[in-house]
Amino acid sequence: MESYLLANAESVVARARAGDEGALEELYRAFEAPVYNLARRICRTTEDAEDVLQETFFEVCRSIGRYREEGSLWGWIRTIAASKALMRLRRNKYRDTDQLQEDVVGHRREDTALRMDLEAALERLSETSRAVVWLHDVEGYTHEEIAGMMGRTPSFSKSQLARAHQRLRRWLGEEVEV
Amino acid sequence: MTHLTMETLLSLREAGLEPGDASAREHLDACPICRTELERLHQRVARLRALPALRPSRDRWPHVAARVRIEHRARRQRMAGLIGLAAAASIAVAALVRPGSGTVAAGEREIQAAMARSQALESALSQYHAEERMLDGRTAGIAQELEDRIAQVDRELEVADLLEQQSRDNQVLKLWRERVGLLDALVDVHVTRASNVGL
Repeated sequence: MESYLLANAESVVARARAGDEGALEELYRAFEAPVYNLARRICRTTEDAEDVLQETFFEVCRSIGRYREEGSLWGWIRTIAASKALMRLRRNKYRDTDQLQEDVVGHRREDTALRMDLEAALERLSETSRAVVWLHDVEGYTHEEIAGMMGRTPSFSKSQLARAHQRLRRWLGEEVEV
Repeated sequence: MTHLTMETLLSLREAGLEPGDASAREHLDACPICRTELERLHQRVARLRALPALRPSRDRWPHVAARVRIEHRARRQRMAGLIGLAAAASIAVAALVRPGSGTVAAGEREIQAAMARSQALESALSQYHAEERMLDGRTAGIAQELEDRIAQVDRELEVADLLEQQSRDNQVLKLWRERVGLLDALVDVHVTRASNVGL
């Protein structure tokens, strides 16, 4: 994800720390898309994702003085975005829709390969499972880091990921025939 | 033959070895079904990473900028309030000193001295325009923490004002001394650092 680099990051950060609104906007413009993408992949609705985008950059503007430049700027912003998105999930407490599917339909439909496309299958996962899949498989967070952000254990993160992949495999019709 | 679970297949993709990974790899070498599962897992993750980036439909920057401006304004007012509070408290203590007594009680003199020192430090900070200067992340964090603690002391000073005379004097003196200590530290953070790096 280091493709999200700001060409003159050091000078932009220095000006942002001094309260230069133009520099803060430069940061926003540079990282708006990846932050929104991460938020949208975790949150259920576009409205929630846009709120997370706004909350993330408000926090970035407030805390830019505390950015220690030990890791990448994108890494720092991404962690803020992930925390805000997970906070939004906790607040909304959506019903886990894939669990609902299991409850209502049982295993009858498992015999039929649903052959959804990946976007639809990802959308169908529960909030928590989707967040774990996205943070681990796409953003590259470890189970320990995800557990820290979610206030759970690494084992929880691992089992969520395994369950999510089992479901994705089934929904995408990718099960290996024995 | 028992095939590898999804959790085991996933653990094989991790950098570090987990307990049981060695025997899982042995199984993998011998089992074409599990090798296919692992390959599909790799492909699924690659496809996840290749999903198109989603973009917001609305520009949220104006909202963010407006909130940031409000926050900055509130912060400036808080700093100005700190200086005002010190001045007001100074007048209040002066009024406590009985006119015509000729001497001021030792406790009150100490309070006045602490307040005068506090005012001097705030004045130095005010002239320094700390808010407009650039700090590294760690220093800014320390400065923020000190400002928060000063705000806490100010709240305690307001409460102490409601106490009985004797206990009020003791508490007020303790708080003003604490305040001076915090301000000293804040001046150190801003001014000493700036002179060290030639700002």
